[in-house]
Amino acid sequence: MDEFLNFIKSGKLAPLKSWGTKWSLWPVHLVTACCGAELAHAFACGYDGERIGALNYGIARQTNLIIVEGAITRKMARVLKITWEQMPDPKFVIVMGACGLNGGVFWNGYNLVRPSEVVPVDFFIPGCPPTPEALLRGIRQLQKKLETGEAESSAYFYDLRLEKGKPPRRLPGVPKKISAAPSIVVNRPRKVDWAFGGELCEKLKVLRVESVAITGKNRIALKVSADKLREVAIELKKMGFDHVKSVNVVDVPGENKFIVEYHISSYSSKELMPVILNVFAEVPRNEAKIDSLSDLFPSADYMEREMQDFFGISFKGNPWKGKFLLAPDTPEFPLRKEFKLQEEIYVGD
Amino acid sequence: MIEVLIDLIRYFLSILKSNQLDIPLIKPIIALIMKIVAQIPIPYLSNLVDFILAVILWRPLFAVVVMPGLTVLMIYLLYIVWFERKLTARIQWRVGPLEVYRPLRGAIQALADGIRYLFQEAIVHKDAHRPYFVQLPILAFIPVLLPIAFIPAGNVVGIKSPYAVQLTIAFISLIPITVIAIGWASNSRFAFIGSVREALMYVAYEIPFIVAAISMIFLYKSGDPYIIVENQWIPGAILNPLAFLVFLIAMLMATSRLPFEIPEADQEIAFGPFVEYSGILFGLVMVLAYEKLYVMALLFTILFLGGWNGIYISLLGDLNAPIWLTIKTIVVISIIAMVRSMYARYRIDQAIRIGFSWLLAFSMVALAIGVVIGYEGGI
Repeated sequence: MDEFLNFIKSGKLAPLKSWGTKWSLWPVHLVTACCGAELAHAFACGYDGERIGALNYGIARQTNLIIVEGAITRKMARVLKITWEQMPDPKFVIVMGACGLNGGVFWNGYNLVRPSEVVPVDFFIPGCPPTPEALLRGIRQLQKKLETGEAESSAYFYDLRLEKGKPPRRLPGVPKKISAAPSIVVNRPRKVDWAFGGELCEKLKVLRVESVAITGKNRIALKVSADKLREVAIELKKMGFDHVKSVNVVDVPGENKFIVEYHISSYSSKELMPVILNVFAEVPRNEAKIDSLSDLFPSADYMEREMQDFFGISFKGNPWKGKFLLAPDTPEFPLRKEFKLQEEIYVGD
Repeated sequence: MIEVLIDLIRYFLSILKSNQLDIPLIKPIIALIMKIVAQIPIPYLSNLVDFILAVILWRPLFAVVVMPGLTVLMIYLLYIVWFERKLTARIQWRVGPLEVYRPLRGAIQALADGIRYLFQEAIVHKDAHRPYFVQLPILAFIPVLLPIAFIPAGNVVGIKSPYAVQLTIAFISLIPITVIAIGWASNSRFAFIGSVREALMYVAYEIPFIVAAISMIFLYKSGDPYIIVENQWIPGAILNPLAFLVFLIAMLMATSRLPFEIPEADQEIAFGPFVEYSGILFGLVMVLAYEKLYVMALLFTILFLGGWNGIYISLLGDLNAPIWLTIKTIVVISIIAMVRSMYARYRIDQAIRIGFSWLLAFSMVALAIGVVIGYEGGI
């Protein structure tokens, strides 16, 4: 950051300041992704970053350099900012790896931010991951920047002239294919040699379900209507099914519906233990509401909140409101099929 | 009025001149300086230079400020940080600090780190007790640096006392209080944990440490370093090896070196009491343990390794004793620094068990040995 560079390069003690800071760049541990392995490599016996005075230190208060290793998610951005704020001035940031530069393999992801939007970055090291030599070169260039005020970059940027009146050039969009048919069938029946399954199906047919099908060994799919889901769940609980293994949502925009699946099983009844019931209901996309089962099966609570985050389905009876796993500033319902990522324009306006 | 002033200066000069270092090596150099100064036609200049030289070579001041006092302490601090990092690096097949100044193999790395700390922001966070947080790193130097005035090196001594060993032990026992206070003033949970651990380690090592030192006082029948060193034609380490062992381990525990690096464990509690310090304040608290190690190693050398006994070089005169004492101390510290890269850390309960079981038992046996040898007429 220029402010810190100015502090180091100004005053009568400038040579002393820049010399001391140059040979004592201590990076703080802030490992977010696989580049951390390369960082460890760069400071281990082969390359030994301690040669040039960089010593990895555990605590933010006593360091003056952050090496951002990899992707910074929206939630991790907060941690990065806090770490940066904790460090005493003057402090510097090196960003390592393609993810930190522009997203890398997570490019244009709904949950990713660039470190340069969070903290002022002094030097970027490209690569996926960068080699230890590249990392050490980055630290060397930061030293050079402290000494002369200018870091040497090996990257070459072409000059692109803006021509008015022409359409802006965009990066190719992410392919998003929505197929109308075939539709997703959750309860496709299959013939298996499972005697107990047949008995169980007979019992389940008595309940107010739309259809019952054996989809595999130990797997039964129950289709219920959305308003009957709760009654069926109460009946199932009486039968001995006592927990929800997972809650799933399948988005089927071609038929304008969500399929909400509850995988219900049992821990208490021995013969029901291997059985997993897939109780699913279909809800319309424009009015995505369904009864919550979190008071009957407490284990459903966590996954209902998660589905609420990702698909925007409201579970009536679940008191949770707002974002659960995602950061507060994430765009809404990122796993819906119609979710549009922000397009990047790299030439033009 | 001026005559009174001149009389006063003459009186001071006579005090200084009566207690000068006698170094044959630098006598011709001083004579040369005086000769050059006498030719410069400025009034009173030769008197002034004479006075300055008399102050520098005055024995008490030389002991405290130059050797084995502050100057050597500063050089030692630069050396030990570099040596420790370099040694650890060599053991891990690395190179260690090098590029900062290649001809000296990176020996001024600690200087660069110190300068960087000096020009960094010293953060005093919101929750800290502000006056104590800022004052304590400086106050902590009092019990660390005061013993240096009492530890003699031959004829070079700051304050001559027959109870120098006891005084030094008393000052060393005061140091953990400042560390605990630092943790308390930081008001952070890691600092609290570090303070409590420091207190636990304090009770673990303090009794064996004091008992081992007292056993040597019994053995020599005096707490006067001169008598102790005079009597050591056999080093104290051979006379009472158990006290030697207990003192060595207590030294590791007291300075939180690696097998007992429990209060500052940076993997779990992030430098314990010092976690919130930054900038030059951290530089001050970081060297605290090293300075404590220096004082304890001085005491260790005097009690067990024959103090300033060594080959007498007549050219150096009075400087012999400080040089031998310093060399022995630095060697002891370098060996202790080696321990760091070899051993893993003990758990806190293991360390306290060591302190209260066999370390205490060994110190008691050492006390018995000391009493028996002392009662039999000493050495």
